[in-house]
Amino acid sequence: MNLKTTFSALALSAALLGALPLASGNGNALAQGGTISGGFDVGPGGFQGNFNPLAATSGFTWLVTYFEPLVIYDDKLAKIVGALADTYEVSADQKTYTFKLAETKWHDGQPFTAKDVRFTLELARNEKAGSVFAARLGVVQSVEAPDDRTVVITLSAPSPSMLDTLTKVMMLPEHALAAIPAEQIAKHAWWSSSPIGTGPFKFTKYVADQYVELAANPDYRGGKPAADKLINRYFADPAAAIAALRSGEIQFTYVDSNDVSTFSSDSNFKVIEGDSYVVNYVGFNQEVPLWQDLRIRQAFMYAINRDAIIQSLYGGAAKPANCVYVADQLVPQGIESYGYDPEKAKQLLAEAGWNKINGDKPITILTYYTSPLATNVLAAMQAMLAQVGINIVPRAVDTPTYNSIVYQQSGNAGDYPLIYAGLQNGPDASNINIGLNEKQIPPAGANILRIRMAAVTDALDAALAETDAARSDARYQDVCKATNAELPWATMWVANRYGVASAKLKDFVWTPAPAGGPYQAHVEKWSIAE
Amino acid sequence: MLRYCLHRLLVGLAMLLALTVLIFTLLQLTPGDPIDAYIDPNVAMTKEAMDALRARLGLDQPLPVQYLAWLSQAAQGNLGHSLQRFNETVSGLILSRIGPTLLLMGAGLSIAIVIGIASGILSAVRRNTVPDYSLSVLALLGISSPAFLTALLGLYVFSVRLKWTPSGGMLTPATDFSVGDLLHHLILPATVLSIGHAALIMRYMRASMLEVLNQDYVRTARAKGVKEFWVVTKHALRNALLPVVTLIGSTIGLAVGGAIFVESVFNWPGMGLLLISAVETRDYPVIMGATLVIGACVIVVNILTDLAYAVIDPRIKVA
Repeated sequence: MNLKTTFSALALSAALLGALPLASGNGNALAQGGTISGGFDVGPGGFQGNFNPLAATSGFTWLVTYFEPLVIYDDKLAKIVGALADTYEVSADQKTYTFKLAETKWHDGQPFTAKDVRFTLELARNEKAGSVFAARLGVVQSVEAPDDRTVVITLSAPSPSMLDTLTKVMMLPEHALAAIPAEQIAKHAWWSSSPIGTGPFKFTKYVADQYVELAANPDYRGGKPAADKLINRYFADPAAAIAALRSGEIQFTYVDSNDVSTFSSDSNFKVIEGDSYVVNYVGFNQEVPLWQDLRIRQAFMYAINRDAIIQSLYGGAAKPANCVYVADQLVPQGIESYGYDPEKAKQLLAEAGWNKINGDKPITILTYYTSPLATNVLAAMQAMLAQVGINIVPRAVDTPTYNSIVYQQSGNAGDYPLIYAGLQNGPDASNINIGLNEKQIPPAGANILRIRMAAVTDALDAALAETDAARSDARYQDVCKATNAELPWATMWVANRYGVASAKLKDFVWTPAPAGGPYQAHVEKWSIAE
Repeated sequence: MLRYCLHRLLVGLAMLLALTVLIFTLLQLTPGDPIDAYIDPNVAMTKEAMDALRARLGLDQPLPVQYLAWLSQAAQGNLGHSLQRFNETVSGLILSRIGPTLLLMGAGLSIAIVIGIASGILSAVRRNTVPDYSLSVLALLGISSPAFLTALLGLYVFSVRLKWTPSGGMLTPATDFSVGDLLHHLILPATVLSIGHAALIMRYMRASMLEVLNQDYVRTARAKGVKEFWVVTKHALRNALLPVVTLIGSTIGLAVGGAIFVESVFNWPGMGLLLISAVETRDYPVIMGATLVIGACVIVVNILTDLAYAVIDPRIKVA
């Protein structure tokens, strides 16, 4: 083949490639009037395919478009305000919660009453119903409905996280669900075929693995929604959600931080940034004999250049964490800041006798983070730790594999001497307790690293027992201080998370809340420009 | 012949049974179960609460008990209920997914056959010319591009950049069903699926056609003054097609694998997407049921192929 023939051949190949899809016709009819579509269950806060709020470990962003809880976070996740409860009061001993309910109706026209609240809370406390809230509501002693508009919840002991839990319990209609036995309710067809709530939108249909469609509830007490329809598209692959956003088929989706830069300069889109409230850490499994010496744990903090990773991999969109919290009011002055200092790390390792303890033998670091970003972060950590003589080998697995390894009773500590993970540290600061308190070692909780550090446990217990809200921050500062000094984890950072919305959306509220919130998104105000 | 058929059927059944044992065992070796898949590690949960959920699903039973319970139900046509979905039977799920998969595979293979055969003929007839070289370059590209790459590339070019096709799904949400809408959604995934097959068919067709065009009877036809068009279409094509038809039969199995990739990129609601989401959520009954049905289809196609060979070619021993 001579040069001219080669060029002609390549040119013809290119022309043929380009001509293929001409047969597909014109696809400009993709935009829809009055309909807002989004990937509302894409990303870490989403839960595609779950319709039962009692089984929801996440996915609240979408669930609160048609269900509502009694109380809810505001859109800054700063404070808890009333939702289906107009007002609420907490008694001085923190054991009695009184809710005054809003005047509203279920989507089928029946009135919403205190009996529905009592029914929902009874169901949510029932393990047989497959409720993920059963343990968290274990402290509830009774739920009473003295009249249609009043609910009184009595606790057996004060629980600082009670209101946070109640933000996640969506109210359910007694008249529609009472006839279903508790054992059958978790996977009942009702949830994905004809659920009714009190929210701004009504459930209309679910097309399996494709989308959920809602229609405006004209009788919503907050006013008739501006949009006619709301559609939640499902995506097996986050890249497909981004493609759908770019092609204009959807107006919103969560995006990974390394995809943000492609949107930030485009006036057709609005990037929404927010705190993930998840602290990422390198966790030391206390059942392997490598991490007993505090100096070794300190060496991790000094050896990993967190600022460099934040700048180069997160594009600056993360806050370094020197304890389990990063929120200003929870971080006391004067704690160790663990600036990057590989020489100090080497010195600490030498003092602790690291060469005798492990030396350069490879140590597996287990993680459930499988994104390209996490892979790069772990590669950077691996290189930085190698410079001081610690040889870590990342092992990324899917979530079920990860959970099955770390939740095992015991005896397999060698499978995960180190983990790279994250845990929710806000907006309710007490969320961190489940992973660090000695009393939370499985099966009781999720202290999967079997951390037994008295100073940390005592600080957490004191914070949980604090009933005076004004002193609560100071107690959590003590938790910060203890985790900064004892280093049960080598705390890394709290990264920002992102959503991207079409510039056509008006009054759209979204924030990357852990588990998807819920928070006041005022869905009824969302609208789309033609 | 009847004995041969029975023999093949029995072997097929035994293979199917072995497949179920294999999949069940592999599933048990896979770390994590449906409850593990449920928990977001960032929003931790107590192990006690997880164990309570586990008991509700019957996952605390011994393994052989679980397998035998499944098998006895499956033998009666009951593939059970999904553990993760809302009151959906596995057979119902599979029935609703087979249609879209067949549509996608059928469309993909049809495009592949038409393009592959036409370009194969063109290449052979215009041997060593620009069209032949161009098509050969394209075929080489097609054969060497993995489905997930062409799928993502296709998505980027035709959906994101050119906005000619939707980026995924089978129908536009919140609109009434129309064939046009379905075809609009179908064209890109089907084309992506067809690329590898079209390239393969083209190469076979070209080689086979070249061989036939050199046969004596073709030369005779030309000598008699038959027009070149008729020489190719009437005299050469039919004989040249034989090995290609065999190839197409054997690539149907390959198409199933390709369809799984393409379905997951384009969110096409078929068996592949069902299987992938079932594996991610460790939905055991769905994985078992879907594998059983796919396995049964492949085994039946193989038996039919064997039988067809036995009918067509008497040299294959029927015993």
